[in-house]
Amino acid sequence: MIEVHALTKRYGQLPALTDVSLRVAAGEILVVLGPSGAGKSTLLRCINRLIEPSAGEVRMAGVPIPTDRAGLRQLRSEVGMIFQDHNLVPNLSVLKNVLTGRLSHMPAWLSLLQLFTDEDVSIALDCLRRVDLEASAWKRADRLSGGQQQRVGIARALAQRPRAILADEPVASLDPQSARLVLTDLQRAARDFSIAVLCNLHQVQYAREFADRIVGISAGRVVFEGTPSKLDTAALGRIYPGLDSAIEHEPPLQRGADVLQVSKVLSQ
Amino acid sequence: MKPRRLQFILGHPWTGRDWTKCGLLFGISALALLWSARYLSLSLPELIQGAPWIADLVSRMVPPNWGFLRQLARPVLETIQIAIWGTVFSAALALPLCFMAARNMVPRWLFHTTRQFFNAARGINELIFALIFVAAVGLGPFAGVLALSLHGAGMLGKFFAEAVEEADRGPIEALRATGASATQVVAFGILPQVLPAWIAATLYRLEVNLRAATVLGMVGAGGIGFELYSSLKLFQYQDTATCVLVILAMVMSADYVSSRLRAYILAS
Repeated sequence: MIEVHALTKRYGQLPALTDVSLRVAAGEILVVLGPSGAGKSTLLRCINRLIEPSAGEVRMAGVPIPTDRAGLRQLRSEVGMIFQDHNLVPNLSVLKNVLTGRLSHMPAWLSLLQLFTDEDVSIALDCLRRVDLEASAWKRADRLSGGQQQRVGIARALAQRPRAILADEPVASLDPQSARLVLTDLQRAARDFSIAVLCNLHQVQYAREFADRIVGISAGRVVFEGTPSKLDTAALGRIYPGLDSAIEHEPPLQRGADVLQVSKVLSQ
Repeated sequence: MKPRRLQFILGHPWTGRDWTKCGLLFGISALALLWSARYLSLSLPELIQGAPWIADLVSRMVPPNWGFLRQLARPVLETIQIAIWGTVFSAALALPLCFMAARNMVPRWLFHTTRQFFNAARGINELIFALIFVAAVGLGPFAGVLALSLHGAGMLGKFFAEAVEEADRGPIEALRATGASATQVVAFGILPQVLPAWIAATLYRLEVNLRAATVLGMVGAGGIGFELYSSLKLFQYQDTATCVLVILAMVMSADYVSSRLRAYILAS
């Protein structure tokens, strides 16, 4: 569904991504693993062109990403995005936040009058039911907990009826329990609607648990690609250069946190 | 018991140069103040000598002429109406312009142009605008409304634009990623975030405009100011007292109502 070929992004002379290629099939969860600052966010944003790539090609279902305004909006409407800080509009209701996922499908003047079709509302409520938050539909988004807000973010992405979802560190600021809930919701959505999910993570443990395949990125380059079972100490060493192999033997939860710590130190 | 030593601690250890700079600053300020006091012939003896005259004037004001209240009803109503329409027009002017004065929304040249327009509108006092508009559209409340509108547009435009600049970028990016159009991004990503601040600023402006509207009459631009001015000219000091008290009551109640409303809006 998503094909990235030889993608390169430079900021001035500074390379952020170099020659990155990957594919995500429909219904597959591809986790991009790497330290902060490795270029994971840039990679995601180059796909729906929130960031303009410097070179290389991105295709969705075989079609190159359009560069004209209308074509790009059409493409974005088919690609849901989930953010680290969920990026909900804080003082709108949960339902309206999910309805913003339908905006691209409705005439602008109706949406400006805050008018939504029955169909759009029922799609939104459906998506909220999927993340088990239908009861909170009329609450203000910022009244919800961090994990709940992120699940509203998933509902918003699903309301787009997307063919692909780009998730940018969706659980980075969540406690382990909420994180697992969010990733489970994401996984189920991918399976049920055969959505191609490209998900950035920096917790190795979650990648092992939820990914179908893993791509490791370090300093803007792909340094690993394979199934979670192939992610061994040597591979981790390439993704997180300088990371002590001893961390592999720590208990699972601890390990995720340590990788986060080390990656922060490395990126400085 | 040991004597306690005191340390004088400022931002950083002061050197001889710092002390010289500080002394010079104080010396120059003191000289400037003394010089302008002489220039303005500020004198305490004259104030003391004038005290009986002030007491005389005040004594002629009491008791206020309550019968005059009946005649003030219309001017009071007019003052309130001027303030309300002045606020409505300034908000209507500021609303579309504020986006052009937000650094993160438009190219630099447009930002600077709009900001300069706001600065000019804000820099010129309402009374001066009123004088100009009286010359343009003739004596009466309409000139007052126009004066408040233009000056208020400068104030509100700046407030509105700053609210837009402070709006969280995250939700805006999220909406762009859904494929929403530019208008939809503004309507659902920015407006909900800035609306409480906008309404609070407008209410505050209404309060300020009511205060300003009480003196517009002195230059013939309608409202209670005209009654105040003519009662003084006709030596009807008891009427003047009534005017002053009525103005005080208006301003204080506007203050109370607007601050309660603002607190309510910002809280919810």
